[in-house]
Amino acid sequence: MHQRILGVLVAVFAALLLLAPGVAAAQTPALDPAIAAAAKAQQKQQVEQPLNNKPVWDEVRSGVPLVTTVSGRETNVLIQPEGQTWRALRNSWFSVVAGWALVVLVLIIAAYYLINGTRQLAGKPTGRKVRRFSAWQRSIHWATAITFVILAITGLIILFGKNILLPLIGYTLFSWLSILSKNLHNFVGPLFILCTVLLFFTFVRDNIWRKHDFAWIGSFGGLFSGKDAPSGKFNGGEKLWFWGGVLICGVIVAASGLILDFPNFNQTRSTMQVANLVHITIATLFMLAGLGHIYMGTIGMAGAADAMRTGYVDETWAKEHHEYWYNDIKAGKIPGALDAPAGPAGKLEQKPA
Amino acid sequence: MARMKFLCDAERCIECNGCVTACKQENEVPWGVNRRRVVTMNEGVPGQRAISVACMHCSDAPCMAVCPVDCFYHTDEGLVLHDKDMCIGCGYCFYACPFGAPQFPQEGAFGVRGKMDKCTFCAGGPEPDFSEAEFKQYGRNRLAEGKLPACAEMCSTKALLGGDGDMIADIYRDRVLRRGKGAEVWGWATAYKVPPGKGTPPPAAAGGSKS
Amino acid sequence: MNIRSVSSVAILAAAGAMALVLSGCGERPQAVSYHQGSYSGKPDTPPYSDPPWNGNKQQWEDDMRQRVQNQNEYKRIGG
Repeated sequence: MHQRILGVLVAVFAALLLLAPGVAAAQTPALDPAIAAAAKAQQKQQVEQPLNNKPVWDEVRSGVPLVTTVSGRETNVLIQPEGQTWRALRNSWFSVVAGWALVVLVLIIAAYYLINGTRQLAGKPTGRKVRRFSAWQRSIHWATAITFVILAITGLIILFGKNILLPLIGYTLFSWLSILSKNLHNFVGPLFILCTVLLFFTFVRDNIWRKHDFAWIGSFGGLFSGKDAPSGKFNGGEKLWFWGGVLICGVIVAASGLILDFPNFNQTRSTMQVANLVHITIATLFMLAGLGHIYMGTIGMAGAADAMRTGYVDETWAKEHHEYWYNDIKAGKIPGALDAPAGPAGKLEQKPA
Repeated sequence: MARMKFLCDAERCIECNGCVTACKQENEVPWGVNRRRVVTMNEGVPGQRAISVACMHCSDAPCMAVCPVDCFYHTDEGLVLHDKDMCIGCGYCFYACPFGAPQFPQEGAFGVRGKMDKCTFCAGGPEPDFSEAEFKQYGRNRLAEGKLPACAEMCSTKALLGGDGDMIADIYRDRVLRRGKGAEVWGWATAYKVPPGKGTPPPAAAGGSKS
Repeated sequence: MNIRSVSSVAILAAAGAMALVLSGCGERPQAVSYHQGSYSGKPDTPPYSDPPWNGNKQQWEDDMRQRVQNQNEYKRIGG
């Protein structure tokens, strides 16, 4: 009995002995080939050029993750060289081009307005009202519009404030204003995304691209002739704004904005740098297009603002600016469009659009 | 006086993280904020080196260039300091800084950034010297006490030097001359094998034997 | 153009070149210029404004130089 136990123990011991080299081999660290190569290069350099520490400093500047015991975002990166690129781009090309593009477009619009003035109706208003937007459509439009304007203004303060506002209004006021701007921008941003999604689904049906929209675009929307080419409920310009502005710019601005707004997902600095440059570029395009939309919707064209304010337009307005839509209404294809406005109470607006 | 600088001798740094601890202790920085950190290259393999890094107080500071509210300023000593009351916590300085010096304590949900915090070279900030407000926001003002940054002064191997740039450069140069060699002294080549005809063993530790 | 005028032109050119080369030896301020932003926040007092220096910059700088040498162990503990 004893001998058997002893025999088993000896066998186990022998097996352990045999295993030992294997275990030891497994315990030597499996080296990352890149690190091993870097270390080899450094050793070689030490022999060949003892006072030249180039490989070490190459590694320091490379921005690769190293080892540190301090926890935090990218604490293991010793030097991050992309920051300089981001700084140079943001402070020179991106902000300069974005700023001047906005200024130039405002000047162009101002000049156009001074020359042409508000575009009035050619015919006489009949006094008969046609329903253009439901209460829901107007609400979601204004919710998106207000959040858009807040984001645009606060964004401009963050990008250009220190060059334009700070010298004008001084330290105390600007400090207060920029803290407010940053918080508004960060909190209104997600709200804007929500509004944009709802807005997209609200208006997408009337924005499907039709052949006659090319003709409208071809005539520049009557920008120089003063006469609108026939269009459906929305013309080519409005559809461009919908697809290019709301959809494409909206999605890109939202995606890049969310990356910047929620830094708690350990996204790296280079991700945020790229997101920031994309955000500046696309937000500028968005604002440029938005300026055009706001101009046409307010002082550019008589009756346009009323459509979004009250939901109703005059029959003549519909006929001159959106002829196909008007024809559809006349043919009775759009239910509820000919209901008369029921005063400020808006009884009719409870009906579906 | 020339400008203030930090110098980390990678041949001497033993990655003890004493500077990190000294900084936290001296300035009582908030949780999650590390004004200084030690980064190790080639951890565990030949050629391992550690470097202690914090704000380097750049002459052409990227943080200052991108700050949307211009809350940074240079002191006469060349230090880059900032006004926390003005900081909006946008994180741009963190994007731009090559050394990862700017830190943000989390304030509230969704990673909302608080006011940026970074190494002040133990020089406090734009509040009255030694005031409660200065200590709470920026930490100790050792420079106004006639002392140098805590991290450098307590470094056990004197790898981290801080102070007048010309003077610490002189100290470093003197050190390199005495140890006879520059970068490779620390490495394996000296510790275990001197290649024939290349370099000489470092001079015997004269200071240690004499005193 | 005679030889005299040619030689005087040559002398003039040489003098001009000399002046140009010499100007390289002129003393220019070597101090680093910091890229100062347009900071307009609260002013910060210089570190030598408190006791015991009370604004005596020279004394503070001397004391700091003394203090920096504490980091030089060859001087501190002899070597």
